[in-house]
Amino acid sequence: MDYSSEQSQQKRRGFLDPRTKLAVTLVLAVFVMGGLGGDQLRYIKGVLSALPFLLLLTERQWRRFVRGAAMLAAGYGLLLAMPYLSGILNYLALFCGGILTRFAVTVVMGEYLIATTSVSEFISAMERLRVPQSLTIPMSVMFRLFPTIGAEWRSIRKAMLMRGIRLGGTKTGQMLEYQLVPMMTSTVRIGEELSASALTRGLGGSTRRTNICLIGLRIQDYVLLAGCLFTVIVWLLELCGMKLW
Amino acid sequence: METDNKLKGRDLINVGIYGAIYFVILMAIAMLGMIPIFLPLLSVLVPIIGGVPFMLFLTKVKKPGMIFIFAMIMGVMMLLTGMGPWPLMTCAIAGILAELCVKRGDYRSAKRAVLSYGLFSMWIFGNYLPLFTDYDGYFAQRADYGQAYVDAVSKLMPLWMAPVLLAACFICGILGGLLGRVLLKKHFEKAGLA
Repeated sequence: MDYSSEQSQQKRRGFLDPRTKLAVTLVLAVFVMGGLGGDQLRYIKGVLSALPFLLLLTERQWRRFVRGAAMLAAGYGLLLAMPYLSGILNYLALFCGGILTRFAVTVVMGEYLIATTSVSEFISAMERLRVPQSLTIPMSVMFRLFPTIGAEWRSIRKAMLMRGIRLGGTKTGQMLEYQLVPMMTSTVRIGEELSASALTRGLGGSTRRTNICLIGLRIQDYVLLAGCLFTVIVWLLELCGMKLW
Repeated sequence: METDNKLKGRDLINVGIYGAIYFVILMAIAMLGMIPIFLPLLSVLVPIIGGVPFMLFLTKVKKPGMIFIFAMIMGVMMLLTGMGPWPLMTCAIAGILAELCVKRGDYRSAKRAVLSYGLFSMWIFGNYLPLFTDYDGYFAQRADYGQAYVDAVSKLMPLWMAPVLLAACFICGILGGLLGRVLLKKHFEKAGLA
């Protein structure tokens, strides 16, 4: 059992199991970004907000860490500067600060999730959760395509800019058609190639696929999952009107 | 030719491809919703522009279940992007309605495809539901956006807007479906995609 690809998988294995990452993302999305829960959850939310940054550090994703921290810092900076501004600037500072501080944490978590989880890891984790294939296959195709769509859109916009098709340009009305249609055409083409390659490798076949990825719950996963469960329980108790502190 | 109604890998991958395009467009437009005046307008813009990828998607739909899965995935994505559990419910209902509508036309009728997109678009109403079901709670959660934002939104979104928005989703969905048909004929059939 001592072949090299297994060792390389061992080395590549992330700090967390994909299931844990997903659970943490969900809790962050619902409670921190969605703003669910009242005063009781305030301290828990504070702890939860620090989590994605710590996780990025454990995976040595320095650039993403700095970017996320800068986003959060800009948000709090705007909120701090807000009382010294007047009129429309005051409103804008409060509004942008509110949005940045609310979204930054979950955006960072989403980046962590996508950057550190390979598609095979995601699919095998979902299989262990007994999530049906009809949900996991489209979801993993989507996550694979998002960066591609972004890149396509950027280059199409550049090409159209050259022809004066942009917001405020002479041909604003055609913008929709001239940007959307090429973007969709190229995405569908890329998607078809992707689908051919995935089908060759047996995705969506009738037999169960095996894969080499090492996933499984370890101590750190149990700790974080317990944290997520705790958050939900506190929220449910709050809904029933119970006060913990 | 043998008709096999079970969903295969390729069908599911197609759901993923068009789902990704639809979701990117949705998110790009939804960013506008940060500006209060655009919040009610989202129920106009999203169905109209989203109609283009959806009508292209419908040309690939030949088996039952694909539209429902598409809708459910939108619900899950909304959950992941912090819109709460409401869209999941409206997605399930709108997905089933849209699915039944196309199924009646045997997955071939163009009129039914347009109507089905109108029905499908009604899921967007789920994103507004937390506002209407819990008016005070919604604004309490968004207090950190500033009083000016809360004032602007509550002026734009009185309770009677709820049915208006739902109707807008449906009507603009039909318009978006028609727009999608036009672009389908003009571009995608020529390119061999539809």
